[in-house]
Amino acid sequence: MTAAEMTATEDKRSQMVVETRGLKKTYFGKIETPVLHGIDIEVWAGEFVAIIGQSGSGKSTLLNILGALDIPTEGSVLIDGVNISTLTEDGLAALRNRVIGFVFQFHYLLDELSCLENALTPLVIHTGEVSRDEEARVIRLLDRVGLGQQLHKRPDTMSGGQNQRCAIIRALANQPKIVLADEPTGNLDSRSGDEVFKIMREMNRENRVAFIMVTHDDRLAQEADRILMIEDGWVHEVDKREHRMKLLNSLKES
Amino acid sequence: MKLLLLVPPKWRFETSLAVRHLVTGGGQTVLTVGAVAAGVIVIIFLTALFFGVRAKLTNMLTESIPHVTVKVRETEPVPLSEVQDLDSAMSSSRIEKRAPQLKFIDDWRHVVDMIRTIPNVRVVLPAVQGQGFASKGSNPIGVTITGADPEEQDKVSPVTKDLIAGKYVGLASDEVVIDYELAKDLGVSVGDRIRVNSSMGNSESMTIAGIYSRGQGRGGAYVTLRTGQSLFSMGNSVSVILVKVNRLFDSDEVADQIQKLVPYEARSWSREYPSFVSSLTVQSASAYLISAFSLIASSFAIASVLIVSVLQKSKQIGILKSIGATRSQILRVFTLQGLGIALAGSVCGAVIGTLIVYLISLPLQSSARPGHKPDQLFPVAIMPVYIFGAMFSALLATLMASWFPARRAAKMNPVDVMR
Repeated sequence: MTAAEMTATEDKRSQMVVETRGLKKTYFGKIETPVLHGIDIEVWAGEFVAIIGQSGSGKSTLLNILGALDIPTEGSVLIDGVNISTLTEDGLAALRNRVIGFVFQFHYLLDELSCLENALTPLVIHTGEVSRDEEARVIRLLDRVGLGQQLHKRPDTMSGGQNQRCAIIRALANQPKIVLADEPTGNLDSRSGDEVFKIMREMNRENRVAFIMVTHDDRLAQEADRILMIEDGWVHEVDKREHRMKLLNSLKES
Repeated sequence: MKLLLLVPPKWRFETSLAVRHLVTGGGQTVLTVGAVAAGVIVIIFLTALFFGVRAKLTNMLTESIPHVTVKVRETEPVPLSEVQDLDSAMSSSRIEKRAPQLKFIDDWRHVVDMIRTIPNVRVVLPAVQGQGFASKGSNPIGVTITGADPEEQDKVSPVTKDLIAGKYVGLASDEVVIDYELAKDLGVSVGDRIRVNSSMGNSESMTIAGIYSRGQGRGGAYVTLRTGQSLFSMGNSVSVILVKVNRLFDSDEVADQIQKLVPYEARSWSREYPSFVSSLTVQSASAYLISAFSLIASSFAIASVLIVSVLQKSKQIGILKSIGATRSQILRVFTLQGLGIALAGSVCGAVIGTLIVYLISLPLQSSARPGHKPDQLFPVAIMPVYIFGAMFSALLATLMASWFPARRAAKMNPVDVMR
């Protein structure tokens, strides 16, 4: 390898926001349940990756581990270059706060707080207060996704799509490197679902944030940069063209 | 929300969220605040009532008795063999107590001065006390004769206050004040002359200057100190020194201090009435016990409401953790929530409790004897120390009760609650 190639690899490596090697996860309940059998994935800064798979295939488990909410049984997980197994409870919390953003199927906004306050929570948790600049930035983002008029509304007075958009801005509020989305459109009708997805894709492009989205929606997966398929605890990359053909075929059949 | 700026930035998020929980909690918050308030009210009410009753009973009992009585110590008999080295000699094995006799405090002026230096002492009264007979014609009736300065005597065991006829202050040396029962038995009234014989055999003819009725004890006769001294052949000595103190329940200490200062025996009223004192102790113990139980009961109520609140909020806890809240932050949110409940509850309880105590302490409108202080509905004492004590212990109990739910919240695993 030449020196130039080495710097290139180094550079590429520093661009890698998620890297797992031989990631295994087994749940030890009454019976031992292996869920992930050895996952190797790499996600680069600014990438949009869709993860598809049957329910129960381990998609959510993988996402939880990538989000530092859960610890792998075996193998290594590097988030932004840090091995999460080496972090303390507070270290994991800090990682979740600053490097990772979460979007869930349900928006999980706090009912007690307004839309803007909800979007600001990651900042408030981190520092206790929010500077004017940061607040202006978050308001701009909310405005950008069409919530400029809803800033002071409570989640229960907003529509499902609006809440989910607010949740996306919350995930982006601390300028994370990765946003993990667990079926973010699963609970929305197709129109608001499409809108939410569109916004995620735009945020991904505009802010160079990597998105990892678990979805059941093959149509949305098709819009991602890459598609990863999880089957029975193993992962493999799906060729987008192949996937598209399959999708078209299934559409014809129906 | 401006108030939030007073909170250090590090805690602002936790504080504002705890406040939001309380505000949006509605009925739950009202319920828990009510539980704390109820506990505080019970404590304030009980302690006020207890101390009120105690003060009233004790005043009734000790109003007319000296708090500390100083006398010459009764010498205990000592076997002869212990006094002298009588190894070879014979000694009596029967030990008899010396026959009681009237004993004198000769240096009483000095003793009185010494006792006056003790801080808690209010009145020191040198007096002669002894037994005797009063007779009109040929019917002697036993009396307890007290010879003391009338003005000072009124401060120890008031006589003037209970007079029903005549006078006490300004008693002449040949005058006597006797109690109503005795006057009735003797068939005499103010101005009549009676003969007073002391146990020492001295006899004097005296004019009745006044008649009093105290409602307790009978057969009392009050004379001046000089007359008492001459009746009992005491010369310039006294037989007893009576002491009144300011803080009634510290009279034991005063008695101990007197014993250290002078070589006489000092007995406190509480040693004369041990069963009364022990009944007060039982009362106070039960007041504290009931207070403690009411606190425990409200703590349980608070803990259970908070546990429900934590379970309801488990999704929220999950999301907070997923966006980076640490365990200690979650712990603080719920502990602060408990603190808020505790503060609101103890303040409400203190205000309501004090108000209730104040209302029942208002004197009853009575048409009883004019000039007399009307009785209280309940004898209660409003004591700030106990109000703040109740608030503080409620605060502590509530914080302890909120600790377990808060810890449970902090330990929640987001992965478990978010699916």
